[in-house]
Amino acid sequence: MEKLSSVAKALEPSPIQQLSFLAQQCNAINLAEGFPDFVAPAHIKNAAVLAINSDFNQYRHVQGICDYVAQKMKEMHDMSIDPLTDIVICCGQSEAFAAAIFAIIDHGDEVIVFDPSYETYDTCIRLAGGVPVYVGLDPPYWTLDPYKLEKAFTDKTKAMVLNSPHNPTGKVFTKDELEAISVVCTRWDVLAVTDEVYEHITYDSRSHVSLASLPGMQSRTVITSSLSKTYSVTGWRVGWAIAPPRIASAIRNIHIRLTDSAPAPFQEAALAALRSPPSYFKTLRSDYESKRDCIFELLVKVGFKMVFKPQGSFFVFAELPETCYLSDIEFVEELIKQAGVVAVPGAGFFHGDGCCSRRYIRFAFCKSNETLTAAAAKINELAEGDGRLKIFEHGKLRVPT
Amino acid sequence: MAENDSTKNSVAPTLQVAKRLEKFKTTIFTQMSSLAIKHSAINLGQGSPNFDGPDFVKEAAIQAIRDGKNQYAPGCGVPDLNLAVAERFKKDTGLVVDPEKEVTVTSGCTQAIAATMLGLVNPGDEVIVFAPFYDSYEATLSMAGAVTKSITLRPPSFSAPIDELRSLVSKTTRAILLNTPHNPTGKMFTREELDAIASICIEHDVLVFSDEVYDKFAFEMDHISIASLPGMYERTVTLNSLGKTFSLTGWKIGWAIAPPQLTWGVRQAHSFLTFATATPLQHAAAAALLAPDSYFEELRRDYLAKKSILVEGLQSVGFKVFPSSGTYFVVVDHTPFGQENDVAFCEYLIKEVGVVAIPTSVFYLNPEEGKNLVRFTFCKDEQTLRNAVERMKEKLIVNTH
Repeated sequence: MEKLSSVAKALEPSPIQQLSFLAQQCNAINLAEGFPDFVAPAHIKNAAVLAINSDFNQYRHVQGICDYVAQKMKEMHDMSIDPLTDIVICCGQSEAFAAAIFAIIDHGDEVIVFDPSYETYDTCIRLAGGVPVYVGLDPPYWTLDPYKLEKAFTDKTKAMVLNSPHNPTGKVFTKDELEAISVVCTRWDVLAVTDEVYEHITYDSRSHVSLASLPGMQSRTVITSSLSKTYSVTGWRVGWAIAPPRIASAIRNIHIRLTDSAPAPFQEAALAALRSPPSYFKTLRSDYESKRDCIFELLVKVGFKMVFKPQGSFFVFAELPETCYLSDIEFVEELIKQAGVVAVPGAGFFHGDGCCSRRYIRFAFCKSNETLTAAAAKINELAEGDGRLKIFEHGKLRVPT
Repeated sequence: MAENDSTKNSVAPTLQVAKRLEKFKTTIFTQMSSLAIKHSAINLGQGSPNFDGPDFVKEAAIQAIRDGKNQYAPGCGVPDLNLAVAERFKKDTGLVVDPEKEVTVTSGCTQAIAATMLGLVNPGDEVIVFAPFYDSYEATLSMAGAVTKSITLRPPSFSAPIDELRSLVSKTTRAILLNTPHNPTGKMFTREELDAIASICIEHDVLVFSDEVYDKFAFEMDHISIASLPGMYERTVTLNSLGKTFSLTGWKIGWAIAPPQLTWGVRQAHSFLTFATATPLQHAAAAALLAPDSYFEELRRDYLAKKSILVEGLQSVGFKVFPSSGTYFVVVDHTPFGQENDVAFCEYLIKEVGVVAIPTSVFYLNPEEGKNLVRFTFCKDEQTLRNAVERMKEKLIVNTH
């Protein structure tokens, strides 16, 4: 009895989640999934405990979250946002994004998405009846080609998705690139939906610039973000969408029918999180920067082609050297079996037949220093005298002696 | 930098929300709640308690936060919770289900409903609902592109019009959406009614989505899950949640139980709607579901006492109160008080009497059908219920003009 909807039939389980199962079975060190293995900040956990004990456990909308988010957008991007009308609290950025797509996409609408991209955007757009149209970022620096972008627009284009800082590459879109995007969005009268969950995780004194802060963009942009990555509480499901009032209202109406409310005690705890002092963000950034440097150096040393250093997010997108004949999936499987370390094959992030789609591996470094050190040690065990991985030298599987 | 919205060269985009939203504005609950606050009215409208959940459940959540269970849970649920849901279901229905393959945890029952519709219903499929119905059903059905057909449950008994159902089911009917115990009427579907519905479903190969969130609020008869009837498990998605039973409506922990082939569809949609559900609260939910029988017996006793306070009060004031076998709602005929319709009556009740009820017209495809009926809830502490009854006795005057 085949009763699935046609959309559900077309979907496959998340490749990232499947690899996690294999890793668990092999007891592997998980550098695949994008969540920390270190503890969440104490002041935020305490706020959640206090909220539960103070009976903040029924359906809620905590307006204070909107007030703080609006304040932060003013501080970071000099944007003026009305906390009463422009912000919708959702169950994580996941739901904010889904609600935004459902709010604006009709059947047949085209949505431009940059390639590579986080796996969820594609299926969310299709679930709403939309058609994703991919514009490839050019390796090795993942630059945006404005000409390619322009060519992707048609009169069916309704929206564009922008994720910056970017998963999986770690790219932070430059001001010039954002301007090029804003010009073409304005010319074609298209909406932008941004995913800015890594907004506070940028390196080398680089700032995250929000697309909506560019001239003419606030009135046509939906910003989505959350507590998860910034405050290391990916399991709490508190996020938000920021949009001009009429679109925010549409998103709110969808959200209420999808889930009705984000978890109440964590909304309350969000206030403590959003009130964190500037020192919190400084430490967050510098801690992640040193983790980035460690893993980047390791990957260079063992022979990956490392041209582009992550500018933001906690991912590094490493390219397999030419001498490696394994595909990304084969390499990841070998790494699990031989080194007990798991990463994500890049193929799942590409949507097209690009020549590079099987050559990249995504490593997450949102892990404790102990974990990263242990992973480095295990990977180094597979290296030859010159420090490079045996797999890379011989282009084939290591043969046990 | 000034408001960046006022760029002379760009025209503000015309509002481009999706067509699916044309029918949906702010929910009636939001409207009534705002009015209630303005007039300091006692809120017997929205169905969330004004008392809190049991300590043992809250403490389990706190422990989970302190134990570091703050990152993404597996998308389909924390294994302990899936197991607890399966065990509870076995206790309640006798059915044995596989927690890994047949239970999916979601952000509340509302989201389980959304995932079920989006995962199992194709655009153009017909879904039959019983009016009056919980207002998010129509919205999510519309998001899935379904054609919604309704059959009305009529006072005084709200019995299921089986003949009407039989003649409405056709080749294009994908599913019947069942809610028992029923919000807003409090009706509980009898064994005879469920048998009849089951035979129609089996004959026409139709699915059932059964919303059973109020199953522990069964006062006049035992709750029966349609999934437990012969031939029905394979075609039923049973939906439930933690919030009502444990007075933690803001936690948003719900679930869907279905055979593997249907669960597949639910899970695909779920993973792209919210991806995962609040982790520490899932751990606490697992503890909650293992509560001894005495918890549920006390729950019934408490609510029965609350019900008598409200029902006797409403009757003595002059309402025609319809019998309600389950849920914590009761529906009454307000016409003795001479207002034009249910919305007008509710507004009058808030402004002049200081009590909130919900107009039922929003729960029908044809609002006219609900104009004589309003819904009161008794999920409030006894003093609040008594105060509300007092206000109504003082200020509500039977007006037969």
